[in-house]
Amino acid sequence: MACQLTGYRSGTMALVSADTKIAELLTELHQLIKQTQEERSRSEHNLLNIQKTHERMQTENKTSPYYRTKLRGLYTTAKADAEAECSILRHALDKIADIKSLLEERRIAAKMAGVYSDSDPPRKTMRRGVLMTLLQQSAMTLPLWIGKPGDSPPPLCGAIPANSDYVAKQGDKVAARVKAVDGDEQWILAEVVSYNHSTNKYEVDDIDEEGKERHTLSRRRIIPLPQWKANPETDPEALFSKDQLVLALYPQTTCFYRALIHTPPHRPQDDYSVLFEDTSYADGYSPPLNVAQRYVVACKENKKK
Amino acid sequence: MTELKDCPPLKYYDFKPVEHVKVCPRYTAVLGRSEDDGIGIEELDTLQLELETLLSSANRRLRALEEQRQILTDWQDKKGDKRFPKPKDSDLSVTSRHSRPKKQKLDGKGSHGAGPGPGRPKSKNLQPKVPEYGEDPQELPRNPKNDAPNRFWASVEPYCADITNEEIQVLEELLKAPDDEAEYHKIPALGKHYSQRWAQEDLLEEQREGARANDKKKSMMGPLSELDAKDVDALLKKSEAQHEPPEDGCPFGPLTQRLLQALVEENIISPMEDSPIPDIPGKDDGAGTSPRSQGKAFSVPHTRSLEARIKEELVSQGLLDSEERQGGAGESEDEVLAELQKRQAELKALSGHNRARKQELLRWAREEMRKQELRRRVRVADLEVMEVFRRIMAARQKKRTPTKKEKDQAWKALKERESILKLLDG
Repeated sequence: MACQLTGYRSGTMALVSADTKIAELLTELHQLIKQTQEERSRSEHNLLNIQKTHERMQTENKTSPYYRTKLRGLYTTAKADAEAECSILRHALDKIADIKSLLEERRIAAKMAGVYSDSDPPRKTMRRGVLMTLLQQSAMTLPLWIGKPGDSPPPLCGAIPANSDYVAKQGDKVAARVKAVDGDEQWILAEVVSYNHSTNKYEVDDIDEEGKERHTLSRRRIIPLPQWKANPETDPEALFSKDQLVLALYPQTTCFYRALIHTPPHRPQDDYSVLFEDTSYADGYSPPLNVAQRYVVACKENKKK
Repeated sequence: MTELKDCPPLKYYDFKPVEHVKVCPRYTAVLGRSEDDGIGIEELDTLQLELETLLSSANRRLRALEEQRQILTDWQDKKGDKRFPKPKDSDLSVTSRHSRPKKQKLDGKGSHGAGPGPGRPKSKNLQPKVPEYGEDPQELPRNPKNDAPNRFWASVEPYCADITNEEIQVLEELLKAPDDEAEYHKIPALGKHYSQRWAQEDLLEEQREGARANDKKKSMMGPLSELDAKDVDALLKKSEAQHEPPEDGCPFGPLTQRLLQALVEENIISPMEDSPIPDIPGKDDGAGTSPRSQGKAFSVPHTRSLEARIKEELVSQGLLDSEERQGGAGESEDEVLAELQKRQAELKALSGHNRARKQELLRWAREEMRKQELRRRVRVADLEVMEVFRRIMAARQKKRTPTKKEKDQAWKALKERESILKLLDG
C-alpha cells in the first residue's frame, strides 16, 4: 500500500522496495504451504478413522450408542482439524492476494512512471493473442470466494452486484459503455484510471488499446467486474441462473454483448455457457459459448439496439 | 433388528482428503522445496488455484461434519430426554450392550404414559405393560418431533367434548336476544326527493359563489355585480318554476292519462263511436286544454281531484279493485320502498328460520345433557360392578365362596347398571 505513494515519485525506487516485499511474502507463503500440509497429514489419520467407522457401522447395519458416541467424538475432532486447515489455507490465499496486489501496484506505478520492465512490455506493442491469453489468465486466477459456514457471499462475488455506493479502484477491470466512432454504443472491457468524486465520473482506459483511448464516463456507464468467483458447490445462489439476461465478454474480443445464461458453472473452475444475442442465427441466439465468471455481469437496462 | 428406524439420517459422507499429489502438482512441488528455493512469482496463479481447491474441499468437509455432528447431538439429546425420568432402568440393563437400544425403543413407547412410576422394580416388567399403554391412541409410539396427531386431536376435541351448562346458557342467551330486528323492519319516512335536494344544494352553492364573486367584483366594477345578482335571481326563479310540475312533466294522474289514451286511440280508429261512460264530457274538457304538444304551459287546475274522482268512479263501477290498485301504485311508484319491503320479508323469514334452528339446537343440547348425566351414572355403575367383581374374584382366589352379602351387592350393582342403560337407550 505504501509503495503506491512512493511509486508516483519514482518508479524505480518503488520497484526495488516492492521486490523486497514480494520476496518476503513469497517466503511466508512457502512456510504457510508447508504448515498446511502438516495440518493436512495430521488430520488425515482421523479422517481415515471416520471412514473405517462408517464402513463398520454400515456393514453391521446399526448404530449402537457406542458407535454414535465414537462417531461424535471423531466428527468433533475432524471439524476442529478442518477449521484449522481452512484458516491456514485462507492465510496462504491472502498472502497470494497481497503479492498480486503488490505486483499490480508495481505495474500501475511503472505505467505512470513510463518505465517498462522486461517482463511487462508496453501494452501498445502487445499482440492481440497475447492480450487474450492475459484476459483468460486473469479470469482463471480470479480468487474463489470460500465463506465460512454461515457466511453469505459478499458483493462483487459472482452474480452479486456491487453496492450502489461502490467505487471501483484504480486498475480495476470494468465493463464500460462507450460511444464508438460510428456513434454506436458498446460495452467494452476497460481498466479504471481514476474516479472524480465531484463529477461522479470515471476515467477508464480501453483494455484493447491501452493509452490510446481514454474515456470519461459517468458511473452509470460502468459495471465493476466480479472480484471473486462464486463457488457453485457451496454458494450456487451467487451465480446467474439459467435463462437470465447478462452482459458477457464475447470470446476473443474485448466487448460485452447481451446474452442468456445457458448453463451456470458446476465447479469452481468452470465457465458459464451462454447464448449471445445474434441476429445471424435463426432463433436469434448464438450456439452456446463459454465465458468465465469474471466476464459475466448483470445486464442492467434493456438497451435498445 | 429395528434399530435402523431409530437411526438418524446419517449420510456417511466420504471425508477422504484431497489427494494433493494428484490434484495439486504445484503445491506438491513447492512442498518438496527447501526454504532457499522458494516460490516463483509465475507460480502464484497455479498455486492459488490449487490452494482454492484444497480450501474449498476443507470447507465442504467442515460443513458436512458440522451437519452430521448436529444430527448425532440432536439424536442423543432426544434419547436423553426420553430416558431422563427413569435413569434407574438403564443402570439395570447396562450389562449387555445389545439389549440397550432395544429397551430404549420400548421406553420410547411407554414413556408418555401415566404408568411408568418409580415403583416399577424391574425393566423386564416393561414388556408386558407396553401393549396395555399402546391401546390408548395418544400413547402410540411416534416421532416426538411430529406433533401432528396432537394437533389433530386438539382440533377434533371441541366437536366430541361433552356439552357444558355454559354452552346451554349461551344458546338460551342467543334465543332470548331482544329483537333488534324490529329496527330493521321500520320503514323510515320519505325524505325530500333527491333531485329537489340536489337542485337546492346546487343553488345554494351557486349563490355562495356568486356572493363571493360579487364581493370581489364590487370593488372593481359596480354595475356588473348588480347584473350578476339579477342573473342569480332569474336562475332561481327559473329552477323553481321547473320544480313546480310533478316529476313526469304531466299534471294529470296516471288514471286520467290512461283513460284518455284509450279514448284517443279509439277516436283514431273509429271517430264516431262514443263511449257510454257518463264521465267523458267532464274529462273531455280537461283533455282539451292539455294536449301534449302544448308542452310546458301547464296550468291545469284540479288535476288531482280529477284523478281522485276518476279513480273513485272506476272503483265504484267495479272496473278497478281499490286494494290492488293501491298496492300496485305503491310498488310502481317507489322502487326503494319495494326493495326495502322485499328485504324485510327476507329478513323475517331468515330470522324465523334461525330461531327455529336455535330452539332445535337447544332442545338437542338439553337432551344430550340428560344423556351425559346418564352416561356418567353408567360409568359410576361400571366401576361399582368392577369393584364387586374384583371382590368376588379375590374371594375365589382364597378358595371360599362369596358371601351372601357380596352376591347381593353384585346383583344390585348389575341391576342398577342395567336400568340406567335402559334409560339411556330409551
